[in-house]
Amino acid sequence: MTLAELDAHQQQSLAELQAAIEATAIEQVRVRYLGRNGLLPALMKQLKDVPVADRPEFGRRANAWRAALEAALTERQAAAAPRETVAPFDATLPGRWPTLGAMHPVSRIIEDVCRVFARLGFTVADGPDIETRFNNFTALNTPAHHPSLDATDTFWLGDDQLLRTQTSPVQIRVMTSRPPPVRIVTPGRCYRRDTTDATHSANFHQIEGLYVDTKPVSLADLKATLACFARETMGPSVGVRFRPHFFPFTEPSVEVDFSCHVCNGSGCRVCKQSGWIEIAGAGMVDPRVYRLVGYDADSVYGYAFGMGVERIAMIKYGITDIRLLYENDVRFLGQFA
Amino acid sequence: MKVPVSWLSEYVDLTGLTVKDLSDKLTFSGVEVEGIEQVGFDRAEKYVVAEVRSCAPHPNADRLRLCQVFDGTTELQIVCGAPNVAAGQKVCLAQLGATMPDGSKLKKAKIRGVESFGMLCAADELGLSDSHEGLLLLDPTLPAGRPLTDVLPRPDTVFDLEITWNRSDCLSMIGIAREFAALLERPVKLPDVAFPENGAPVAQLATVRVEDPALCPRYTARVLTGVQDGPAPAWMQRRLEQCGVRPISLIVDVTNYVMLECGQPLHAFDYHRVTDHTIVVRRARAGERLATLDNVARVLDDQMLVIADPQAAVAVAGVMGGAGSEIAPGSTDAVLLESATFTAPSVKRTATLLNLKTESARRFERSVDPGLAEWASRRATALLVQLGGATVAQGVIDVDHRHAAPRQVALRFRRGREVIGVPLDDARMIQILTSLGLQLAEQHAEQALFTIPSWRVDLEIEADLIEEIARMHGLAAIPDQAPQSVAVAGADDAGVRAVALCRHTLLSLGFTEAMNYSFLSATELDTFDPRPTSRRLTLPNPVSADYAILRDSLLSQLSGALGRNAARQVEMVTLFEIGRVFWRNETDTPCEEERVAIGLCGPVGRTPLDRRRAVTNEEAALWLKGAVEALATRLRAGAITLRPVDHPAMEPGWATEILLQDEPIGLLGLLRSSWRHQYRINAPVAVAELKLLPLLANVGRVTPAQNVPPFPAVRRDLALVAPRTLPHGEIVATIKKSGVSDLTNVSLFDNFETKGLVQGTRNLGFTLEFRSPSRTLTDDEVNLSLQKILQTLKQTLPVEIREG
Repeated sequence: MTLAELDAHQQQSLAELQAAIEATAIEQVRVRYLGRNGLLPALMKQLKDVPVADRPEFGRRANAWRAALEAALTERQAAAAPRETVAPFDATLPGRWPTLGAMHPVSRIIEDVCRVFARLGFTVADGPDIETRFNNFTALNTPAHHPSLDATDTFWLGDDQLLRTQTSPVQIRVMTSRPPPVRIVTPGRCYRRDTTDATHSANFHQIEGLYVDTKPVSLADLKATLACFARETMGPSVGVRFRPHFFPFTEPSVEVDFSCHVCNGSGCRVCKQSGWIEIAGAGMVDPRVYRLVGYDADSVYGYAFGMGVERIAMIKYGITDIRLLYENDVRFLGQFA
Repeated sequence: MKVPVSWLSEYVDLTGLTVKDLSDKLTFSGVEVEGIEQVGFDRAEKYVVAEVRSCAPHPNADRLRLCQVFDGTTELQIVCGAPNVAAGQKVCLAQLGATMPDGSKLKKAKIRGVESFGMLCAADELGLSDSHEGLLLLDPTLPAGRPLTDVLPRPDTVFDLEITWNRSDCLSMIGIAREFAALLERPVKLPDVAFPENGAPVAQLATVRVEDPALCPRYTARVLTGVQDGPAPAWMQRRLEQCGVRPISLIVDVTNYVMLECGQPLHAFDYHRVTDHTIVVRRARAGERLATLDNVARVLDDQMLVIADPQAAVAVAGVMGGAGSEIAPGSTDAVLLESATFTAPSVKRTATLLNLKTESARRFERSVDPGLAEWASRRATALLVQLGGATVAQGVIDVDHRHAAPRQVALRFRRGREVIGVPLDDARMIQILTSLGLQLAEQHAEQALFTIPSWRVDLEIEADLIEEIARMHGLAAIPDQAPQSVAVAGADDAGVRAVALCRHTLLSLGFTEAMNYSFLSATELDTFDPRPTSRRLTLPNPVSADYAILRDSLLSQLSGALGRNAARQVEMVTLFEIGRVFWRNETDTPCEEERVAIGLCGPVGRTPLDRRRAVTNEEAALWLKGAVEALATRLRAGAITLRPVDHPAMEPGWATEILLQDEPIGLLGLLRSSWRHQYRINAPVAVAELKLLPLLANVGRVTPAQNVPPFPAVRRDLALVAPRTLPHGEIVATIKKSGVSDLTNVSLFDNFETKGLVQGTRNLGFTLEFRSPSRTLTDDEVNLSLQKILQTLKQTLPVEIREG
């Protein structure tokens, strides 16, 4: 047999296979070519009659033929085989997933805020809930007759000890333990003797920030930092404005408004038609505070800011009653999963 | 503080500014406008003075009257429901066609069958006040038909301002006028305070002795005689009312008027009732009693300052006068007029202790300008001369212990620019400060020295001046710039991050974060854990008994939250809280500690199709144990073990102490059934509480990574029947101690009790894993090891090996 004849047989066999539809017809093709007495085994027996020079090529082509035929056979057999009935996937059945824990909205705001400030180089600092008069009031330049020291406003535990009314004492702790620069945010729980109602709670959370450096730091730097914070937490179009105010520990002091994230400043129910929402108190650290913590007031500059976490959570998530945040109803908390 | 714009504009020219302009200027210079109220009569057409000619009962209604009313041209029949209507009165008439407050036009009406041709008005219907107590009655001499616009007060705007604590000077019309004067660059106009002094020399009429000048740096007194006390003029009464002060009589009203005008509280004593006409400013004696103007007998202490005569205290200095020397309307014609300065901390303390928040105390406790006392005295005297025909004694008693020199403060121009962040030039800064009444004392190239006016008690240091510049120049001028990021070397917040890791681990284990108040009631704590706890930290001044104690454990509140949720038909509740607990230590020092509490109730860990089956005690407890173990693993805390304890909040036999490396760090167990029943919960409730500090100690630790084992493991299963009382842990420990090498793991794969087994036993199945670090183990080797383990078990424990 010549190489040409071999190729012709190959094409003939594949054509026959292609024409066979029934399983029996396919089997006949298989027996005819690959069976014990089939053409291909017979050809291989004749290999010794092929001229020596052609033998390798002849063998190679014969093997290629066998491989091609076997592959085609498998395919045809599979196509002809009766289909097995596999139960289909009902993809509308409920999926199975482990329970998702939901972070408390107060923690969520604290983590979000800290993350924004971390990108600006602020590290998180922490302090105790039970504070001293010095850290909570005196070092923050709050005179002893300021109304915030009254037993009607502050939970005193003794003459010198109290439940902190703000997280500012953490600033004092950091400044008294470390030279400038200082760049911290201080989230934490605070206590004021407020009667609980829809917007007041006797314990609540604050986040304050402090930046003190030996190079000039201005109200413009403060505004830039808070504007960045406003955009990152409330939305890219939210802006800030300052209104002058008074706090004992900053001078100048400002109140910080964010433009309303709901109406973009055009006035709505959330911002009480003003277009602005009061978010934070801030200012340049009062030099008297630097003196009280042992910094050289003439050679340092800095700003501080502070805001209520529950208030931000309520504004951001549209929560209408602060008490919901302390009721621990999983039907409420589950929304924050 | 209420500020009527008409009154304010007496001291500064406000022409050309709208109400919004005024409001914005105040808000953006530091005085917050909390409210804007429009008060006054602003409807010109069809409102006239009318005379009630007759008044008869309505034929068909008991409460209505049928009035004949003359409007200047005709007599009209009008039905009126006001109880105070009577013939002969001059009243306010809305004629047919008049615009009503709701914008509608008044029409002829038939009321209970009788026609009515107009309406007689009460004060609220005219926009004058909230009062609807009856018809507004007018001066009977007014002619009928006169337009009401000629008679009733014109509309006025009243601002309600929030004055910050440092600006006592702004608690007055003149103080606010000064702000506007500086903002508008217009002058402040002060009233004339001149008057004739025709009486005897004041020194012959009265004596003042200040025994405690530290608390009373200045005391001035004038004596006025021949005062005709009576109602103050209408304009003065109206202004007082606009500011929320009730008019009483001329003398008292003048003192209040001047206080509102300039910020200096004044007090008028009945000259005849001051014994020996002698004023003594002294501290009260401990326990001294004084009946104040509000007719409450006050008990004073020896740090409170009083105004006294030689016999007794007559006033609590700067807070409230005494009832004994009170000037009732028309009760006297002679007045000793006090205008004094009392120091802020003293007045603050006294007012707080006596719980007397008077207008006077409100001003003194924020510091009143001592320079003001004499001017205010003159102003009040001038008004009493002008309005009450008073005769004034010659001169004034002025006991003045002030430190004379006015304060001076320097401003470095560059520092001002650096702090504000706006390129202001030196001249602009000087201009702002001088517009506020500061005087430029010295000017140098780099700085200037300013003399502070006495009324600005708040301006003490350079930063105060910089604030004035910033707010008057306007904070809107601060440029927008990109935020800077500054890296601070050595700053570390690993502790905070460790707490966050703990929170996120529990979230990922499916627990929802709860948050409870730091305080709770004794009852709530006692119900949960009835053991006496003398170390609880009780608040001396709680908001209420419900919040009287600082929590010494997170468990009672977390358990309550689990219970409430379960009672609300939530099928599965998994909660945790990270929070602080508080107690008093042995030396009574308040202490605090951060903890984490975890709790669960319901079919935790079951697939959605397997949640109806009742949850067993063991299942609930083991899921919670697993959560604690997973948490400890994530936090790299080390091995957790549980040791049985007794705890009154827990089910007997189901309370354990949590040990971390053999150190107790918390409690884990099932809440006792009697506690569960208050929430009608039948399923077990598992809770745990752990100290956070030891749990977080290793969070940052880095352990070198191990290579994966190169050789395969061989596993053998082992089933045995053991008494129910034999702990699983003991069996595992025995297996591990049997002395075979290459046993790398023992894990439980089965645990059940069946009827076929002997009562009080359970069937436990273990998978034993053998693996050598150096070669592949053969079956023979492993079988040998297994035999050794079986032998050890049989010899040391009451177990029966199940062949299989």
